[in-house]
Amino acid sequence: MLALDVSDLQMHFPGLAAPVLAIERFHLPAGGQLAITGASGSGKSTFVNAITGLENVTQGKISWNGMDITRLSSGRRDAFRARNIGLVMQDFHLFPGLSAFDNVVLPVRLARRLTVEERERALALLSATGINRVGQKIETLSRGEMQRVAVARALLQRPGVIVADEPTASLDRHAGNEVAELLLRLSAEQGTTLVVVTHDAFLAERLGRRICLESGRVDEDSGESAAQ
Amino acid sequence: MMKFIFADLRRFWSGALAVVVLIALSVALSVTVTLQERAVRLGSARAAEKFDLLVGAAGSETQLALSAVFLQPAPLPLMEGAVLGRLANDPRVELAAPVGFGDSAYGFPIVGTTTNLISALSPSLAQGAHFARLGEAVVGSDVALSPGAQIKPMHGTAEAGGETHTAIAYKVTGRMAPTGTAWDRAILVPIRAVWQLHGMHGEEHHDHESGEAQSHGAEPRDHSHEHEHGHLDADAPLDEHFDAQSPGVPAILVKPKTVADAYRLRQEYRTGATLGVFPAEVLTRLYATLGDARSLLLAIALGTQAIVIAAIVLVTIMHVGSRWRQIGALRALGTPVRSIIALVWGELFLLFVAGIASGVALGYAAASAISARLTASTAIRLPVDFAPDDLWLAIGFLAVAAFVSIVPALAALRSSPAAALRA
Repeated sequence: MLALDVSDLQMHFPGLAAPVLAIERFHLPAGGQLAITGASGSGKSTFVNAITGLENVTQGKISWNGMDITRLSSGRRDAFRARNIGLVMQDFHLFPGLSAFDNVVLPVRLARRLTVEERERALALLSATGINRVGQKIETLSRGEMQRVAVARALLQRPGVIVADEPTASLDRHAGNEVAELLLRLSAEQGTTLVVVTHDAFLAERLGRRICLESGRVDEDSGESAAQ
Repeated sequence: MMKFIFADLRRFWSGALAVVVLIALSVALSVTVTLQERAVRLGSARAAEKFDLLVGAAGSETQLALSAVFLQPAPLPLMEGAVLGRLANDPRVELAAPVGFGDSAYGFPIVGTTTNLISALSPSLAQGAHFARLGEAVVGSDVALSPGAQIKPMHGTAEAGGETHTAIAYKVTGRMAPTGTAWDRAILVPIRAVWQLHGMHGEEHHDHESGEAQSHGAEPRDHSHEHEHGHLDADAPLDEHFDAQSPGVPAILVKPKTVADAYRLRQEYRTGATLGVFPAEVLTRLYATLGDARSLLLAIALGTQAIVIAAIVLVTIMHVGSRWRQIGALRALGTPVRSIIALVWGELFLLFVAGIASGVALGYAAASAISARLTASTAIRLPVDFAPDDLWLAIGFLAVAAFVSIVPALAALRSSPAAALRA
């Protein structure tokens, strides 16, 4: 379970004078559940890329439980992410040609040998997400099933935080609700911090705290007072 | 890791196949050139190795060696018969065998010689016995005639419009074991039969020609009108003693007793009307020429490889380009950089290895096929073998492939994962 601290963060895109993201201070306690909303272009994805270390940060600090990831080399940042952050992305980024099970364990297998415990955990997670035929090729699953496989993959290494970027945006309502349900249930069960970028009101409503970004700044924060 | 690579290759199998074929063909080209050049060099050297020293009439050394070693039909001037007599009785000579060309049958050259030479070529016959009468013949292992068969000699070759000799029909008495030389395609008959068939008698020859070469050789038109078709007694016993009165011959194969003798004999017979050559030496000169041709071919092969490497670089850039998002996703999921490099590099390297391996196999097959065809037409065995040097060539290819395939892998890691995911 990880707590997030952001201070003096500024992200610029080349050619643009105004920062795409400017956050002076932001704190999310460990185990917190955060929804980030906002119009497109408001900086939601940039915020997620920054806190997960997918984008290089040149100004400001981003700390998870006190570990400032902006000071890490890109390789160490990748390693930190692998260990601590479970990612669920809008486009799933599953790998065709591999089975559901192989996709869940791929990040581990590419880094090291899969342990028996991890193998069992992968199977348990797949069953918890409602995927019964774990040997089925990923491209033959429905989109809703694919995103559930991605959720199982994000949880495999017991991350301290799950960051989901528009996890339901490319799904129909029914499948989207299922995935939203799953994210909430599993992160609560595993006790992980949860950060979800979404414009799905149904999903956002169910998270403890919501912030709305506008032009790269925090415009509304439902839990500002609660957090302090 | 391998699972991931194979899943990826299965998805893009047609492109992968194209890369493999591209590399295989270019590697096959240079392997074929290398192997074939070596096969011709070794094969002809082995074919010549039974012929230590050749003595012929003054003229072209190359032509003398090619005619006697490879039985290539060409007009050769004659030496006076006394040379044969002298060599046959020289104490430094272990074997001196006359070689008389000119006739052919069924497309195989008929060579007049002695039983000594047959024994030197094939210490024991594969079938039958040596010829013992003027009208008998021993065939090379590739001549499709069995003992007992009749051979009607034709003057010159069928292609040159030669006429058939009617005075004699040789009877096959034996077959030599395979020698791997052009002589496997020869029909060997007693030299005296050839002389008599062409109306050459030592005394007469000596009387009115006084050593001037009577045109006798593979060129039938030269003398087809003037030569008297002598009467020939096919049952006459063999006479293999030669003296100053023997008729002229175009070439004599000499086996000197020692190396020193060989050099001395060559020196002695390099003066005036005769020419002594070491066939191996003549061949070495030919290889030098052949070597130039090989360098050219290899340069062309290298040129094609350069083009192929350029194509490979293009393919890998596209390969990585189309996987930009995939690589970004792998990094987002926390895959270590070394694993990503291993994946991209491993996949390309796998394709290159497959291409190089099948190229080597293809080149070997092509060289073997070419050698087999050449052997069928010349009887000279051309051994297609790999040499230790080839290993370095293969290692060189692999090194280039390894280097070329690691560049795109490194390039893929320059941008941030987020940028790669946006691509």
